[in-house]
Amino acid sequence: MSQSYTCGETGALVAYLYDECEPELRESIDAHLSQCGSCASEIEGLGRTRRQLGAWTPPVAELGFQMPPPAFDARLPWWRAPLPAWAQAAAATAIFGTGLLIGASGGWAGDGPVAPVSPVSTGASTPASRNDVSLMEKRLRAEMTRLTAAPVSAHTSAVPGEAPSSNDEAIIRRVQELIAESEKGLRTEITLRSVDLARDFETQRRVDLASVRETFGQFQGVTGKEMREQREAINQMTNYVMQVSQQVR
Amino acid sequence: MTRSDEELVARSVSGDADSFNQLIVRWERPIYALAYRVLGHEEDARDVCQDTFLRAYRALPGFKGQAKFSSWLYRIALNLCRDWIRRQRRAPISQIPEDLDPAELVTEAGPAESIEDLVARRELTAIVEQAMQSLSEEQRTAIILKEYHGLTFQEIADMQGCPLSTVKTRLYQGLSMLRRQLERRGQGVAELVKRT
Repeated sequence: MSQSYTCGETGALVAYLYDECEPELRESIDAHLSQCGSCASEIEGLGRTRRQLGAWTPPVAELGFQMPPPAFDARLPWWRAPLPAWAQAAAATAIFGTGLLIGASGGWAGDGPVAPVSPVSTGASTPASRNDVSLMEKRLRAEMTRLTAAPVSAHTSAVPGEAPSSNDEAIIRRVQELIAESEKGLRTEITLRSVDLARDFETQRRVDLASVRETFGQFQGVTGKEMREQREAINQMTNYVMQVSQQVR
Repeated sequence: MTRSDEELVARSVSGDADSFNQLIVRWERPIYALAYRVLGHEEDARDVCQDTFLRAYRALPGFKGQAKFSSWLYRIALNLCRDWIRRQRRAPISQIPEDLDPAELVTEAGPAESIEDLVARRELTAIVEQAMQSLSEEQRTAIILKEYHGLTFQEIADMQGCPLSTVKTRLYQGLSMLRRQLERRGQGVAELVKRT
């Protein structure tokens, strides 16, 4: 671009307007504006438009974005990476099931710092099933005592490749029966516990819902009234300001 | 100690997500303002703003620093705005409220600004927004980048993919059109400008 201004050269005028031109060109335009009313008026008008544009402000917005780090997490080794949702759910189920089994076997009852949780409404079936389990435990212990007290020769004869004796077969059968009974008892206990838990959860949910409904109703009554009063006051004030503004104009 | 954009970019690339969050804090307002002025919708502008940072974050390893980080962000935001306008198949129409909500005005007014001044500012904003609608997308974008973000002619030319002389022409024609529109409103606008 030449460093001397020619009248009506719009590109140079814009560069002058935004103060983004060489000093020589600026001097040339300054000299021209003092003589040319048309160009001076043009620059003055465009400058005024720029000032008006300055009033355009975007509305205030709540932003505060935070970047989750997915791209960088991908670099983590597999043992430090977060588990997928299905694996977390499986782990939670396994832990829950184990807890139920421990609870059903009475492992923590009375011999540790954790007190057993008593359901709100257990019904008559639960104590009966507990008795079953404790009876089964006693029987298992008795059987184990009997087996350990049995002659050593019966066990030592069981060498690899040798056919099991009739005594061994009876023991195995008995152990299998006991295991089956034990499993059946535990299954019943788990089912009963699950039903109790579901019932307790539902009862608590209903109580909470009723409480929330009541609280919300009170809150709504108070805030609704206050909001109406405030809105009316603001409306009156704004109407007054608008009226005064129009009278002044 | 305030780190430069370039330093924060380098740290982000090496895996420091907190540095990138600092860049977001620094640039989210200008990017939101750009998107709002181009699109004219608050919610869309917020979405575009968020999307801009998401894309920038993903593309950060490929950012070689040939341009300023801010110019790179502006370019991403403008591309998203362009996509948005095409996808929505609508002209950028600003949200000009039919009536002013007094409650909203009270919460918006700063401690030193009276409600009357605030009303005047809102009216002028609405007038300018309406006038900007009459411009072509290229003219509007050039004016927004120059007026509100202070980019140089060359930076705008790079962003719009056109010669520098075209940028100046767009600016001149856009400003002239706005001038006519605003002068048509005459005395009212002048008073509002004085008040703001």
